[in-house]
Amino acid sequence: MNWNAWMPPLMIASSLLPGLIIFGLTEERVRLRTVLNLSGALVKLVLVGFVLWGVSQGQQYETRLALLPGLELVLRAGPLSLLFVSLSAVLWLVTTVYAIGYLEHSPHRSRFFGFFSLCVTATVGVALSGNLITFLLFYELLTLATYPLVVHRGTEAARHAGLIYLRYTITGGALLLVATVWLYTLTGTLEFTPQGFLDSLGAEHHTALIIIFTLLIAGFGVKAALVPLHGWLPQAMVAPAPVSALLHAVAVVKAGAFGIVRVVYDVFGVEFAANLGVLAPLAWLAAITIIYGSLRALFQDDLKRRLAFSTISQVSYIVLGTAIAGPVAAIGGVVHLVHQGLMKITLFFCAGNLAETLGIHKISEMNGVGRRMPWTMAAFTIGAFGMIGAPPVAGFVTKWYLGLGALQAGQEWVIIVLAGSSLLNAAYFLPILHRAWFQEPPSTWPKEFDFGRKETAWMLLLPPVITALMALAAGLLATSTFSPLEWAQFIAEHEFSRP
Amino acid sequence: MSAEIYAILLSIVMVIAVAWPLLLAIPALHSRLYWPRHLAIVPVALLAVLPGNVSLQLPWLLFGTGFTIDDATRWVLAMSVVIWFTAATMITSSKQGFANGRSTTFFLLTLAGNLGAVLANDLVGFFCFTTIMSYGFYALFVQNGNAETQRAGRLYLIFLIIADLLLFEALLLAAFTTDNLRFEGVREAMAKASSSQFYLWVTFIGFALKTGIWPAHLWLSSAFKSTNQATALLIIGVPVVMGWLGAVRWLPLGEHAFGISAMIIQMIGVIGVLYATLKLCTPTSVKIVWMSSGAASLFIAALGTGLAHPTIWRQYEYLGYPFIASLGILLALLIVTIGWTQKTRHQHPAVALPRVEILNRWIGATRQWGEDTLLGLQSLWHVSWLKVVKHYQYSSHWQKLQDFVAGWNATITLFVLLGLALAWLAA
Repeated sequence: MNWNAWMPPLMIASSLLPGLIIFGLTEERVRLRTVLNLSGALVKLVLVGFVLWGVSQGQQYETRLALLPGLELVLRAGPLSLLFVSLSAVLWLVTTVYAIGYLEHSPHRSRFFGFFSLCVTATVGVALSGNLITFLLFYELLTLATYPLVVHRGTEAARHAGLIYLRYTITGGALLLVATVWLYTLTGTLEFTPQGFLDSLGAEHHTALIIIFTLLIAGFGVKAALVPLHGWLPQAMVAPAPVSALLHAVAVVKAGAFGIVRVVYDVFGVEFAANLGVLAPLAWLAAITIIYGSLRALFQDDLKRRLAFSTISQVSYIVLGTAIAGPVAAIGGVVHLVHQGLMKITLFFCAGNLAETLGIHKISEMNGVGRRMPWTMAAFTIGAFGMIGAPPVAGFVTKWYLGLGALQAGQEWVIIVLAGSSLLNAAYFLPILHRAWFQEPPSTWPKEFDFGRKETAWMLLLPPVITALMALAAGLLATSTFSPLEWAQFIAEHEFSRP
Repeated sequence: MSAEIYAILLSIVMVIAVAWPLLLAIPALHSRLYWPRHLAIVPVALLAVLPGNVSLQLPWLLFGTGFTIDDATRWVLAMSVVIWFTAATMITSSKQGFANGRSTTFFLLTLAGNLGAVLANDLVGFFCFTTIMSYGFYALFVQNGNAETQRAGRLYLIFLIIADLLLFEALLLAAFTTDNLRFEGVREAMAKASSSQFYLWVTFIGFALKTGIWPAHLWLSSAFKSTNQATALLIIGVPVVMGWLGAVRWLPLGEHAFGISAMIIQMIGVIGVLYATLKLCTPTSVKIVWMSSGAASLFIAALGTGLAHPTIWRQYEYLGYPFIASLGILLALLIVTIGWTQKTRHQHPAVALPRVEILNRWIGATRQWGEDTLLGLQSLWHVSWLKVVKHYQYSSHWQKLQDFVAGWNATITLFVLLGLALAWLAA
């Protein structure tokens, strides 16, 4: 095993090892737990930066371990994997800082941070998977690692939400398993390959392939919250804010969307999938989800539920970009993995700050909160404008590429969906901003905590401000070197150019 | 100083002109400064008076946008400086809560967006900066406002979102057609494109909504009715004039004759002017709305002419920017004059102009006289304007005529100048 082969397992170990140690720590070992959490996150970030540079220079990073006869556990750091890994690594660090501040006086912190690290380990594993079976293993690990986080509060509502989450995700996992085994029996391989590995199969398998594609999309669609498989996501809002941030921006939902991208690009191949006729229905499903999620968000008074329905809508941009089947739309879809992550995590951090500082959970309680918490609401404003797709925030770049891609692919109807979605996004985000900035604040807040002269604890304030600035930079400096957009263009070249 | 060094210095001033207000928008910074609004205008004022043309490309910013300062842009920039400086002075001298820290942040954000849009040399830059400007302006408009202002703000926001969506579609169409998104490149490419008619209409409607021309004047009307004088001034300087500027820059003018579409746009302009003129004569209208709408319609009529006759546009293109700047300055002057006149008479709000009832009383007197004389079949020798004046004098006082002339001298001047400008353009 050469040095490059060690890098993917090291990236996984950088969160797995601290997580396992943290499980064994008592509640009182606050400092050690914090050091382990932060050092793990920092080491992962350094490793990812190193591999990112190596891949841009043409280096290969791959690890193969025999799993079963004929099946290997493959970890490979390709351009697409690294986009997702980078997102996870950066946002894990920020979320860890936030979670330390958020759970400062909560019980069961070692359990929480143990599963938190395990969750990130599974996400990085999903991202680095070099074949479908490795993907499936880490994908299921992710389900198991996130369940304790969803039920962390231990309330009746949390347990109920956890049960629903398990029902959905385990069913999704079962569908994936069936599809994976069926695919293996047809092809004898599950290796992710640019432009797919199925085009050698004859026309007699096309019906089977359509069914396999449907099963895979249904399996991944559960976590990606595609309508009608989205029911678990709004329920999971009972989880603490760092978990919601993790579910919506870094791990679970993204893993589902990333799975769909992998299936289309590296299992079926865009061209083959388009010829099979499965991409058009996928695009329509994504479009329906985009509009449905936005419509449902419009009528939620609970802030986190509104954000949850917004996630349902926004994650489908990734699926839409993939299903449009063109290099430009692919850039829009892939880059939205990062952009949605940055913007949505900002919004969830802010929602957490409002709840933890002033006891605000509902939009109707947000009158004048911008005067009381200006930095939090400034970050929220940037995130919300990004979601609407207003320039110069990152969401604009996504909509730009999706729109251009749709025109390029001759699918003008997508423009109408994007416009409708922007309109609905504006309809459910702008009233929040209006309330926060331009309504008179109440004489007392629902449950105010004392932070002295500061608007809130710095560990709660810093993460949303940083992620908001990152979302702004991702839009403003989209064409600069090493921006998410540049990397997405690199991926599109990789996925759409025939070797 | 060599030409190269001078160009570099000018480029630096250009970037600072946009970045400085953005930086000052941070509350921790502007709260430590005296007159931050005025300070924010200093670099752009310098840029407006420094001679020379320079273009700066920033490939790492917003898909490779850039800034340009040339003789044409300088007209609009100078107008912006005057309007923003006046508004800043009005706000600073205001005793109301309008001059608070939050207002300063929104003011500076809007200013930065406005200046960025004026200096932008491509569609993406213009779109991004106008977005910052428009939402900043919304914040400036509704903060500290009463329920009526908030309602007007909501209406503005709805128009703004729809306009931005339409312009985003136009932007996508342009980017799909050409890689060169600089104004001249888009103009040339879109004139030849198969989607040129669609592009023309989407762009036109987008900017029509932003400028509030008839029949999309609803937000303008409600905004003027409910706001104070400084914001009324900024309505002219921010959404209205920037909408005109956008239309000139985005539409494929001077490249291709658009036939029926151009004629329809001309017609809309002419109808708009006529409608605004009629509305000016109605007793309950807010006069500045119709002045502004009329000026916008006049501008639309000129645009329609440019779209119908590309050779005429090319011949007189250099007048476009001075024309926009003149209209903007004249409307601003009108608002200031009205405000000043009303202030001397202790009347609020700034732009509602109840004194214009005098005009309506003239019309009423004329109608009454007509009924008395013509419908009463009296001898025709009675029909004289002297009688009208006499009749008016019965119902009012001669002093009111003097008041009317004094109060509306800016308006009268505006219309004379507009008429001259139109005649000049038509010639």
